[in-house]
Amino acid sequence: MWGLNLPVVLALAAIGGVLAWRRANTLVWLLYTLGALWAFFRFGFAVPIPQSVATIYLGITGLALVCYASSSRERLAETVQPIKRLILEPRYRLALAGLLVALPALAAYNVYADLTVPLEAPGFGREVHPPPPTEMTVHDETIDMATAENPYLHYKHDDPELYAKHLENGRRVYYENCFWCHGDGMGGDGMFAHGLNPVPSNFNDVGTLPILQSSFVQWRIAKGAPGLPASGTPWDSAMPAWEKFLTNEEMWDVNLFIYDFNGYEPRALGQH
Amino acid sequence: MTGHAMGRTQAAATLAAALLVALPASAQVDLGTEEQRAAGKVVYDKYCGQCHGDTGDGNGYATPRVRPKPRDFTTGKYKFRTTPNGMLPTDDDLRRIIEIGAPYTSMPGWPNLTSAEIQNVIYYIKSFSPDFENPDRYAEPIEIPRPLESTEESIARGRVLYEEQACGACHGEVGRGDGASAPTLVNDKGDPIRAADLTQRWTYRGGPTKEDIYRTFSTGLNGTPMPSYADSLEVEDRQHLVNYVYSLGDGDDPNYGTLITAVYSDEPIDLQDGESLDALFESAPMTRFPLVGQITEPGRNFFPPVTSIEAQAVYNRDEIAFRVRWHDLRADTSGRNNPSLEVPMWDEDNGIGGDESDDGGDSDDFFGDFGGEEAPAEDDFFGDSGDDFFGDGGDDFFGTADAGAGGAEFSDAVALQFPASLAPAESPELKPYFLYGDAQNPVDLWFVNLTYGVADTFRGRGSDAIEPTEADIVEAVTSYDQGAWTVTYKRRRSSRAGVSFAEEQYTPVAFSVWDGFNRERGNKRALSSWFYVYTEPSVEQAVAGPVLRAALIVLAIELLVVFLVRRRARQQAAGEGTSGASLTATEAPAV
Ligand code: HEC
Ligand code: HEC
Ligand code: HEC
Repeated sequence: MWGLNLPVVLALAAIGGVLAWRRANTLVWLLYTLGALWAFFRFGFAVPIPQSVATIYLGITGLALVCYASSSRERLAETVQPIKRLILEPRYRLALAGLLVALPALAAYNVYADLTVPLEAPGFGREVHPPPPTEMTVHDETIDMATAENPYLHYKHDDPELYAKHLENGRRVYYENCFWCHGDGMGGDGMFAHGLNPVPSNFNDVGTLPILQSSFVQWRIAKGAPGLPASGTPWDSAMPAWEKFLTNEEMWDVNLFIYDFNGYEPRALGQH
Repeated sequence: MTGHAMGRTQAAATLAAALLVALPASAQVDLGTEEQRAAGKVVYDKYCGQCHGDTGDGNGYATPRVRPKPRDFTTGKYKFRTTPNGMLPTDDDLRRIIEIGAPYTSMPGWPNLTSAEIQNVIYYIKSFSPDFENPDRYAEPIEIPRPLESTEESIARGRVLYEEQACGACHGEVGRGDGASAPTLVNDKGDPIRAADLTQRWTYRGGPTKEDIYRTFSTGLNGTPMPSYADSLEVEDRQHLVNYVYSLGDGDDPNYGTLITAVYSDEPIDLQDGESLDALFESAPMTRFPLVGQITEPGRNFFPPVTSIEAQAVYNRDEIAFRVRWHDLRADTSGRNNPSLEVPMWDEDNGIGGDESDDGGDSDDFFGDFGGEEAPAEDDFFGDSGDDFFGDGGDDFFGTADAGAGGAEFSDAVALQFPASLAPAESPELKPYFLYGDAQNPVDLWFVNLTYGVADTFRGRGSDAIEPTEADIVEAVTSYDQGAWTVTYKRRRSSRAGVSFAEEQYTPVAFSVWDGFNRERGNKRALSSWFYVYTEPSVEQAVAGPVLRAALIVLAIELLVVFLVRRRARQQAAGEGTSGASLTATEAPAV
């Protein structure tokens, strides 16, 4: 649910419950809040949120907690009381000694872990759907990107037989050219996908074809990676410029086919 | 085929089965109901027909461009079975391959199909071949015993069996798929087929576990040269053989990486001194990178046999050396090759000796105009000029390596690719196009044609704009040993025209491999995306210092807090009555 790691979330809530039941004092609550938040960021999500972001959240929370603890004299005194007792009362001497050793050890471990993280190749973000040009020319035909639609789409209602013909041709084009990358079932997981970075688009995904106009898809098919602006890192993508291999009709047909196979419709014109 | 006729044959078959009382229940003919087959047809037409053919004959749209080719379901011959050689697979065998697929082939797994959908499609597939109506073609699955532990004795015994049974004739002495007869193997349909590379277990089509291996050579792969050893080997011997085959493997997982870490050494890098060179590379971590077919630019390579390459790097004060290694079924060291040799369109589909003329119809209409071109002369293109150069120097490396069989028209080759210059600081993500660069951002290729075994340098400004350069001198040595090519490159770290390798620098790198046996040349190659080389700092980063410092600082703060609290408490005790709450402001956050 929402990418949460439920067992972790429940465990943290349970600890909170126990603390409430035992009427833990303010200091314990503050420590719990920080610790639980850290654990939640670190282990609470299926896809952990980035370390740097988590650090910022924790820093802000820490500040807020300090403000809270020092908001009145009584609260401050109550918060600090356990610390004073730990330091002053002889019966806690052993615990104090342990703490004196444990905290430096923790810090040392943190620095060590930081220094010995395995090296990683640098990674860069890319814009997955960068803005297309306003018009494009493919095989001497110029189309206006804002108004162009798949010329065969209307056959779906007007002439189902002709529509089926175009679909079948699109199927041929797809399985002669595309499935190595985009996959037999169009999950972006073809037999070459593991060797490509960025990975080929997943056409099953509701965040891909349905949010795109068919003219956008046609642009991507015809011009491929070399047609992308720099924000789309065209130098990394293996997406071919299919105008080198296919006719306009073949490209519209495969465009039609990838929508139909997944049961999607192109985003309508003028819809944002 | 009408469902009606089907129903009748099925009834006949069941009757026959009932008469042959000996047949155990599990091996009975089960062709499903008409509805099940009809439901299976729907699944098949959407997901399977484009490869296996809408009529099940293995002639789908993709067929001319994949290898191995999709199974022809009309023959009733199946590779991955638990049943004895020549028999039909069980439904579970079929289900297994449909669910998980055959890795490194175009047969994908279909984890999204429901169990019922798979069962229905199985019934439909069976309807393509009359064999499934014949009870004589059914047999009980073989028993697969629990694997023996991989003890040294067991592996040693397995090794003896491997030699006695001449597995090496196809799979090669150490299992790299380079046996003497490997280049000659064809399947039942006359298509070339490769003996599996037993060292790369993750590429086993029938599965990588010990049970899978046992099954593979016990039942054989029908329709391929891979025989069944059920009759020639006792069960226990087969288990030892499994352990030997397993021991040849480089692990279950390819562990593909994204980074070569170049380690520093004080030693000189001498390419001519093999032993010291090996010793140098011993200390450098090895990374395996995936290679896939180049199918973005014309001259596409749909079924590259080489699926990965390993690489490592060392450097000293002045020079940097790269070593790459990959497996190839034989050393092709007599032909031509270079990064820009032309590949005519009609040669995209065909590998060597592939008798694929009957498939021509499917793809040729597509490339109609190119179909007429004749192959030979135009390949010369770039020419001998580049290669002849080095003609004499390199040859003796190979004296014995050429495995004959006519020798290929094209030689094996490899190239490292680097950007000609590093990305500017303000846009660190910028790289040249990974396919031989582009006009704005060129790449440098360190190309080795293994006929000559020396490195030629090229500058690429796109797939149709590759020119030789001589700005930097790159040296190389090469060797072919039992199915593995090793190429070691060396260059000065600083370059006049290309990229320099400074310490602690991430430099993009990409790889290309050409298998001459597969007629690869020019754009028709196996290639990688961009990865990185990191030149590790020459002085080892000290870890102890910073760690100790962190611990001491925390300890000092702790002691200070304890000291302050205690002093204040003492003062308080002495001067009773003064306000006690104000002491803590500095102390609270420290703990
Ligand atoms: C060599 C691998 C490869 C082949 C072959 C290939 N593609 Fe792609 N394709 C990619 C990659 C990688 C991406 C994602 C990166 C990008 O956007 O350029 C992509 C992206 C796309 C997109 C953009 C989707 C989006 O969300 O913007 C479309 C549309 C597309 N491909 C269609 C096709 C069609 C149709 C074919 C066959 C005619 C095809 N591709 C063949 C690799 C490939
Ligand atoms: C993109 C092409 C492709 C598609 C799509 C495809 N297959 Fe395959 N299939 C293959 C290839 C190639 C092989 C042969 C693998 C080999 O020989 O190692 C194969 C082999 C098989 C085998 C035979 C295994 C054996 O033991 O010999 C079965 C069964 C099979 N496919 C079923 C299916 C089913 C069912 C579907 C649809 C759900 C499907 N395939 C879709 C390419 C494909
Ligand atoms: C006549 C040549 C030949 C001989 C002899 C031979 N094999 Fe094979 N073997 C092959 C071929 C060809 C394949 C690949 C079949 C395929 O890819 O469909 C193969 C595949 C395999 C596989 C992997 C199958 C998979 O899942 O991909 C194993 C394991 C194997 N052989 C083991 C052996 C052992 C062990 C022996 C000796 C007892 C042996 N082979 C003898 C030709 C041979």
